[in-house]
Amino acid sequence: MKLSDEMLMAYADGEVDDVLRAQIEAAIALDPQLAAAVEQHRRLRMQLRHAFDDTLHEPIPDRLLAALGTTGTSGEPASNVIDLAGAASARHRAGWHWGLREWGALAATFVIGVSLGFALLPRSSDIVATGQGELLARGVLATALSNQLAGTQHGDEPVQIGLSFTTHAGDICRTFAVRGEHLAGMACRATDGWRVDLLTAAEVDSAAATTYRQASSSLPAVVLALVDQQIVGAPFDAAAEAHARQSGWKR
Amino acid sequence: MADLLAQFREQLIELLPRLRRFARTLTQHRDDADDLLQIALEKAITRHAQWDVSSRLDSWMFTIIRHAWIDEIRVRRRQGTHIDLDAMVESADASQRDDRVEMLAVQQALARLPEEQRMAVSLVLIEGLAYKEAADVMGVPIGTLTSRLARGREALQKMLNAGEAAP
Repeated sequence: MKLSDEMLMAYADGEVDDVLRAQIEAAIALDPQLAAAVEQHRRLRMQLRHAFDDTLHEPIPDRLLAALGTTGTSGEPASNVIDLAGAASARHRAGWHWGLREWGALAATFVIGVSLGFALLPRSSDIVATGQGELLARGVLATALSNQLAGTQHGDEPVQIGLSFTTHAGDICRTFAVRGEHLAGMACRATDGWRVDLLTAAEVDSAAATTYRQASSSLPAVVLALVDQQIVGAPFDAAAEAHARQSGWKR
Repeated sequence: MADLLAQFREQLIELLPRLRRFARTLTQHRDDADDLLQIALEKAITRHAQWDVSSRLDSWMFTIIRHAWIDEIRVRRRQGTHIDLDAMVESADASQRDDRVEMLAVQQALARLPEEQRMAVSLVLIEGLAYKEAADVMGVPIGTLTSRLARGREALQKMLNAGEAAP
């Protein structure tokens, strides 16, 4: 039989079955060129691993441990800060010039969310509650997220729903604006309710959010930036939105 | 529940060096890689309940890193950032020079591969994933994975041979 280079590669990687392996080994024994080809595949693997050996032995930066929540957030002020997962490290990130420049939209999202949005919130809010390091929607916000459809809302509800969409992680998320509170944000369906990933200050145009285009144009830029970051495909149309509600917003 | 999260964190900490290495092969830049990994870790902690305990945590993390990287590319295209190879050269130690030169040559050759081939090479040849696992991380059929891997290997070999032939 003729052995392709891809077969030799698979052999060198230990990805062939016993039968093919026996055939290849028999062929190699007779053909030094084949043996050399296999040897080259193996050598390349070793070269590649060696080239990145150093990476394995470098000290792990604190910020990566902090991202895991394994180091304390000492020095972080406790007042006016709701313990949103990642908020502390995101603020840290915003302190680096690279982070702010390259991850501008995302970092700004968290910065504004933390420094402005949460500072505006009373400790125990009518629309959000803290739980397990997350911010969960409650009250009228939770009700609207679960039940309200952007296509059929009147514009005078206390909460206006904007865009609904699926994220890379497979979650279903919705943007919203809360009238009276002058807050807007994005929440994603989690097992224990609606996880609020972003909450920020916003002016709510009572006439807005009645169409998808208007819904997106009336949202704060930071909310749109986060949507842009996480969305897969297009936002739900009316039919998809209704279907998602029927399915309990599960993926 | 808190115990599960604590265990999850411990396992992630053990994986950190390898996760950094994978992020480094994707971004070719130390700070970019750590930024990428930080985003991925934050996502992993938020979604730890979605990890199937019977599956491999490294594969799951590589998938999250890959998604975060794809998001990052979008951001970068807008910002027009370029890959910084000079910083890698600067980081080379003066001693053990020949070895360093070869390591850099391999790193730079990998950096020149198209991203899909680079990812396949990194997952299989550096991280040691089986073809099936690497295909799952990349979200492609196994045949696609093997052809990317084969093309990536061939290109790497050519680049490295050309380097050896040069004076």
